[in-house]
Amino acid sequence: MSIVKKPDWKANWYLIGIFSGLWFTLKTMVINIFNKDKMPTVNYPEEKYEYGPRFKGNHVLTVKKDGSVRCTACMLCATNCPANCITIAAAEHEDPTVEKYPISYEIDILRCVFCGFCEEACPVDAIRMGPEWQTPGLGHQDFHYDIQKLAYRANLKGGVLSRVDDEERHHAGI
Amino acid sequence: MLNCKVNGKEIKVKQGTLVIDAIKQADYDVAHYCYHPGLSVAGVCRLCMVKIGDNPRLQIACNTPVQEGMEISNEDEQVKDAVKWGLDFHLINHPLDCPICDQAGECELQIQYMKFGQYDPEMAEKKVKKRKVVDLGSKIVLDTERCILCSRCVRFTDEVSKTNELGIFNRGDRSEVGTFEDKPLENDYALNTVDICPVGALTSKDFRFRQRVWYLKNQSTICTGCSTGCNVKVYYNEEGLFRVKPEFNEDINGYWMCDQGRDVYKFVNKDFRLLEAQSVTEGQAEPLSAGKAAQLAGEKLKELTKVNGPESVGVVVTGQYTNEEYESLFDYMVNKLKVKNIYHWVNNSDTMDDFDGLLLRGDKNPNTYGLKEIMKKYSIQTNMSDLEGAIKSNTIKTIVVAGPENQAVYPDFNERASLFSQASNLIWFSAGPVSAATSKHTLVIPTKTYAEKSGTYVNYKGTHQSSHKVTTIVRGALSLSDSVTLMSGESILTKPVGPQKAMKTNFFVNKSGEL
Ligand code: SF4
Ligand code: SF4
Ligand code: SF4
Ligand code: SF4
Ligand code: FES
Repeated sequence: MSIVKKPDWKANWYLIGIFSGLWFTLKTMVINIFNKDKMPTVNYPEEKYEYGPRFKGNHVLTVKKDGSVRCTACMLCATNCPANCITIAAAEHEDPTVEKYPISYEIDILRCVFCGFCEEACPVDAIRMGPEWQTPGLGHQDFHYDIQKLAYRANLKGGVLSRVDDEERHHAGI
Repeated sequence: MLNCKVNGKEIKVKQGTLVIDAIKQADYDVAHYCYHPGLSVAGVCRLCMVKIGDNPRLQIACNTPVQEGMEISNEDEQVKDAVKWGLDFHLINHPLDCPICDQAGECELQIQYMKFGQYDPEMAEKKVKKRKVVDLGSKIVLDTERCILCSRCVRFTDEVSKTNELGIFNRGDRSEVGTFEDKPLENDYALNTVDICPVGALTSKDFRFRQRVWYLKNQSTICTGCSTGCNVKVYYNEEGLFRVKPEFNEDINGYWMCDQGRDVYKFVNKDFRLLEAQSVTEGQAEPLSAGKAAQLAGEKLKELTKVNGPESVGVVVTGQYTNEEYESLFDYMVNKLKVKNIYHWVNNSDTMDDFDGLLLRGDKNPNTYGLKEIMKKYSIQTNMSDLEGAIKSNTIKTIVVAGPENQAVYPDFNERASLFSQASNLIWFSAGPVSAATSKHTLVIPTKTYAEKSGTYVNYKGTHQSSHKVTTIVRGALSLSDSVTLMSGESILTKPVGPQKAMKTNFFVNKSGEL
């Protein structure tokens, strides 16, 4: 597609626009110098901005009350994922009330498009997207998030509790 | 022939046809759980409701034979309502297990709910809890909560396998399917109950949790587990084959297959395969590509037949290849190399003619019949026992083996392999690795398995069945025909059809090299 723009007489008066822009910059700079604490920008990385809890950042695998991973390895998130970046291996759990659980759950975070479809697909609130957004790493190995990282990384402080509890559901007769 | 009308569509059906089959014949969907064409009629699920003529009450389609001039309707509002609330009853005590249930994706409850149900449940009571994860032996896991008590599995063990293990215990909403005192369900056809169970109450241990069904594609093929040649469907994805299910064929297997046949896919997967050819010279192994190895084998055979004469070459063939492959091998050996020492390796001669009365036969090769036919055609009459003497007396110095792809059904495999290794040259076609082949000059060439090639198998009663290629698992493997073509010095590369034309139609090919 090519866009042809016809010459406009206004374009000849661009100098006015430039000087008014420069004036605005200068004005804001002077104001900011004398009102440092009202400045809207932060000095990253010394200061960090916290997003609200609804922000769709890094994934969190929630846990049950006993601390094990809530995920039942139903693969709905992997099926729904448009980037195809979730890999799950299911296995038989020794506890018959659990039956199925993931022995490995990996997200290739570099391929993830942060759409939140996994969160939406999950029937048991096992995966959520949290407010974390800084994801530095040194090589590709740091971007394959496994259960250890997704559920138990240090800043989750032992794991986020899932809202769906099997025992409660059982007693409620579901 | 009887005339009847299904939802206004006129059809002709055979005398004695059930209304449910007539509806299917007329291409309409009918909700049902308990009816299975291979079993007797139970009429317990009450879901196949139809309106006949202007009878005020609905009837079940699976237990009503068609009569002349019958007007059947299953699209009536009354019928739809009955099916919908019938479904609600089925789901009252059904657990919310779909995320961990292996049947999800092919579950009749899910399918029929989406087709005929779509109601909001109106049940306020708590669900009745039953036993879950009941271990029924080495093959099956039972979940009594998921069972909808259609009794298909019970009828199967009563009527088809005739082993009567399963039954329905207790009454009312406490009814449970199961075996007496949870005895294992170990008959040779037990896994058919997993197939016919419309829900996830019976699941196969082998397949359990390994894949979600919607990740699998399926393709019809022939079971190579024995000489019955059951028609089956294999389920696969890019990682390999995952399970096998029977496909209806009235003349061969009906609706069923045996449990041994369900394990046949296992040797096809990569972990159990020979991935590239191996040339072992005096203990020194060297990998090479299958094509190279076949060409090498061809040159070697040509030279050896020239030096030692064609009598010094022995060919051992197993009944696990297709007719087409036999044809090319025999043509090459008999007509080109003049080798007449072709032996039929029979794996279990004592149990060869066994038959369990239903499907399973003692001959664990899919194409013994085809091999015998071709040996007759080339008028070859040899006896495998002569080979041993010939090897020992050094009259046979070179052996070519078209070995079994399913080595597990060859109890004498290692013993034979070490016998063949006594000859100074050994060329072995095999789908899996052959560690016992340790002759002075050994060449092992990887072959394709039944799932990776098309061809004809002839079953025990002489029925020719063609099977089609399902997928490719080992890229480096060759079919026996391809190997033979390469051995005879020809090329197997298919010539591109009209390369010029392809260039013109494909813009990108045409532009390549211009960037
Ligand atoms: S959808 Fe939820 S329960 Fe299912 S595999 Fe994904 S995270 Fe686990
Ligand atoms: S039987 Fe069907 S409806 Fe029931 S849990 Fe399994 S998949 Fe879901
Ligand atoms: S286990 Fe399956 S086949 Fe058997 S009665 Fe229950 S639902 Fe029917
Ligand atoms: S009876 Fe034979 S051909 Fe049929 S499924 Fe069993 S092993 Fe395969
Ligand atoms: S299919 Fe007719 S009653 Fe079940």
